[in-house]
Amino acid sequence: MTVITHNRRRSRLSTLIDQPGGVSAGVALAQAKANLAEMEARSRAVIEEKVAALAALQPATSIEEASRVLDQAYDHSSAVIDAAGPFELTDVCVAAANLCDLIDAAPEDRPFDWRIVTVHAQALRLLLTLPVEAAEARTQVLASLKDVLKAKAPGAAQSD
Amino acid sequence: MRGMNGVGESLRESAVFNFAGAVTMVIDDSPFALELTTQAILGFGIKVRHACASASEAIAILRDHPVDLILVDCEMPGMSGYEFVRWLRRSGLEPNAFAPVIMTAAHVRRSKVAEARDCGANFLITKPFSAAVLLERIVWVARDARPFLEVGDYFGPDRRFRSEPWEGLERRSEEIRKAEFEAQRRASIEL
Repeated sequence: MTVITHNRRRSRLSTLIDQPGGVSAGVALAQAKANLAEMEARSRAVIEEKVAALAALQPATSIEEASRVLDQAYDHSSAVIDAAGPFELTDVCVAAANLCDLIDAAPEDRPFDWRIVTVHAQALRLLLTLPVEAAEARTQVLASLKDVLKAKAPGAAQSD
Repeated sequence: MRGMNGVGESLRESAVFNFAGAVTMVIDDSPFALELTTQAILGFGIKVRHACASASEAIAILRDHPVDLILVDCEMPGMSGYEFVRWLRRSGLEPNAFAPVIMTAAHVRRSKVAEARDCGANFLITKPFSAAVLLERIVWVARDARPFLEVGDYFGPDRRFRSEPWEGLERRSEEIRKAEFEAQRRASIEL
């Protein structure tokens, strides 16, 4: 196969980065964290809204509808990860990613077991209400979700 | 410890960089995710010049304005992030076709893994990611010295990260041709 190599011209970004002035990594990260901290309450509201939307979804009643409803569930779950990501809500992200994995691995020729979505929505609600110190309870919730993944999509669980 | 160009290297707290003049574009269909990214990088001294809710909005801007850094979400309705990067690399727009691109994803579908590797982005970050990871990756793409390759359908930075020599048989046709040419040249000199 022919390979054409374009010699890399220095990007303007590579020139800018070493210009005089700027900030140190420590200061930059402190500023970023402060900026994000101001959004934490809104993040929580977005997560709760997306979890509620996930819980309110109804299973598809026809094959034509099935992929659209699953895509909606996938989108809600992804949006939870988007909003929770910067705020160290690791367990919430893990639970949402578990559902994304399950939907992604769902065979197209068989109906999706809707209980999976219901269980994940409930688990996400629980994780959001559990106190920070309830580490053991959080671990149990995540372990039970992981068991669902292992049972329903062994391939996805292995690659995890 | 790995060098400054190493993937996965943690930045020293005292490392200084300047992104103040960088023309940056962020593309995300989720207004909240877009704002999160914008606020995080604002902390690094990067003001987002172009905040776009879709790939088509970004394309309209890229046709007329040079951009230094692009952060794009993978999953978007209409044109996806993968399709956008593929378009960008093949756009022929100077210098935008070669702009550093970081893709972000909450989750990458298994069917999209190959697309993520082959679309031509410099880096893909999967969420959740901390501000530190984002900063580290931006610094990394700024210093990314990989050449751009055009191989079949692929156009983008060299996807090989490792520079260790391969100890097995040479399989790259270009290298085999070079070796044959070199052997013939040597033989002709000896004659």
